[in-house]
Amino acid sequence: MNNTVLSALGLVKGYQSGDRRLEILRGLNLSVFPGETVSIRGESGSGKSTLLHLLAGLDSPESGTIVWGDESKPDSVRRSGYLGMVFQAFYLIPELTARENILMAKRIQGGLNATAYARADELLNKVGLSERSHHFPSQLSGGECQRVAVARALMNSPRVIVADEPTGNLDEQTGDGVIQLLLDLCSDMKTSLVLVTHNPIHAARTHTRLLLKQGVLEDI
Amino acid sequence: MPWYLYLALKQLFSSGQRLFFTLISIVSVALGVMLLIIVMSVMGGFRYEIRQKIVDTQGDLQVRASGFISNSNALEKVINAIPGVEASTAFAQGVVMLEKDQKPSFPSIQGLDMRTVGKVIPLNRYIIEGTLQDLDDDSVILSSQLAVSLGARVGDAVQIYTPLMLEVAKGQDEVLLPTELKVIGIFEIGHQQLDSSTVLVTLRRMQQLYGLGQGVHGINVRIAASEDADTVTQRINEALKNAQSKTLDIIPGLRARSWSELNQEFLWVLQLEKNIMTVILLAVVIVSAFLTMSLLLVLVLKKTREIGLLGALGATRKQIALCFCFQGVSIGIVGTGLGLIFGFTFLHFRNDVVLLVTRFTGSQAILERFYQFSQMPSHTSFSDLVIVVVSAIILSTLAGLIPAFIAARLKPVEALRNE
Repeated sequence: MNNTVLSALGLVKGYQSGDRRLEILRGLNLSVFPGETVSIRGESGSGKSTLLHLLAGLDSPESGTIVWGDESKPDSVRRSGYLGMVFQAFYLIPELTARENILMAKRIQGGLNATAYARADELLNKVGLSERSHHFPSQLSGGECQRVAVARALMNSPRVIVADEPTGNLDEQTGDGVIQLLLDLCSDMKTSLVLVTHNPIHAARTHTRLLLKQGVLEDI
Repeated sequence: MPWYLYLALKQLFSSGQRLFFTLISIVSVALGVMLLIIVMSVMGGFRYEIRQKIVDTQGDLQVRASGFISNSNALEKVINAIPGVEASTAFAQGVVMLEKDQKPSFPSIQGLDMRTVGKVIPLNRYIIEGTLQDLDDDSVILSSQLAVSLGARVGDAVQIYTPLMLEVAKGQDEVLLPTELKVIGIFEIGHQQLDSSTVLVTLRRMQQLYGLGQGVHGINVRIAASEDADTVTQRINEALKNAQSKTLDIIPGLRARSWSELNQEFLWVLQLEKNIMTVILLAVVIVSAFLTMSLLLVLVLKKTREIGLLGALGATRKQIALCFCFQGVSIGIVGTGLGLIFGFTFLHFRNDVVLLVTRFTGSQAILERFYQFSQMPSHTSFSDLVIVVVSAIILSTLAGLIPAFIAARLKPVEALRNE
């Protein structure tokens, strides 16, 4: 019986660049277990973001399988409840306040109710932004925006979070704070985490540390 | 509220630069709608007022012959028995010379059958001095502007000369004696031509003035409010045909014509003008739809990564398309609503606006003489309102469809990669 929350089996993905074909992933395998935190490092262009997009079901592999729990066909409707995403560029909606941005995840999933509002307030409290819940992204610092993005990713109580270089736009100190917050929240909520990062210190804080090299993952 | 409607409204009416662009789109739609509703209402008003004046002065339809009708009583009996006819009244008309204190005028004259005229023509509504009931064979009612130009008031005497007097005078060596009548009332219909030169007398006096004997020139007919004038006209013509072959003497050219048939060409020109103006002004709404489309296209380009994020959060393509399409619809609905408010406000104060404009551009009298109305008419039909509202909202929706289609085609993974 498969007890992983997220697994990839024999993923192959490439891109056509002019006359040349670039093989990005070459039969990559990955298993993420409940509550496990996994870091993936690799050189720029090694395919880390491509891998995350495949794991999140935003893109399709040329061959291989992605399995979410027991489901091998990831789709957008299921994604909103199963998998949360954190991006380097935050991607907060500028017309919405911090609280509204967090609630947006629930609005799209459906079933916005008083419990959801309470959950959003609880998450705002956990990421330390209770006082700034009615501020717009333009009124928040980069670190605060990323904390809102983390809260949004956790809004629907996903089984796993995939984070694509979440500290890439932040200074070192703020970035450290965000990673620690992400790890603490995932630990509290028993949520698995797949963290793509360049930072070896951040990677060192995860249970499993992997390196993406020549299209496959290696243990570090 | 579905999330895509919520986000569409948030994006449209957020503060700052975006709100400014939204307002520009809304105002452009509102201006187009405002112009459409004003022009269609004023053009519709001309038609409505003209119909009203015709019906109020001639009835819903008129029965006339090639010459004069000698047996009007028998004819009226036939007409009144036709389903849909409420009442009828005989009339005679012509032109006379009217004189007061050596001041001549050449108005048209109407002889009214005092027994029946009130059932067909609501003249009492337009009498501003005196009453219609006081009109007898020795009195006359003048139109307001004619009374002013002659300097005649209620109680004054006026002299009337008719073409019959000229004919009598031609053959014999007689002195031309006018008929003296007393002014017992003044009326004002609001139609420049009628108000400037019309005289009302009793039918009997008119028959004497024109030497008609018992003859009349025609019969005005009032129909029930629920009836269609053209349908009743058709019924009358069939009944007249049957009656002439059985009971009535043959009257050459006897035929009923509805108010719209009597003024067919004028109404056609009016409708043509209205249609042309509608098409021209619809172009304003089309231009505003293009403006909305370009603003939404810019928005889609600016929001590419957000669209990717929505996909990553689980939004379907259809929902993303609806989010942008709804923005076009919202601009259309709000713009149309505002346009209607501005338009109807303008129409409410239209006469003040005309007064203001004529104060700078010239005399209002010229305007009245040209357009025949003392007030700018306005009548908004339900069908005109539906055409304006539906066309503005459909065009705005279409304007939102192309950006919506582009947004929906974006793959989340490509949108997120976009820098």
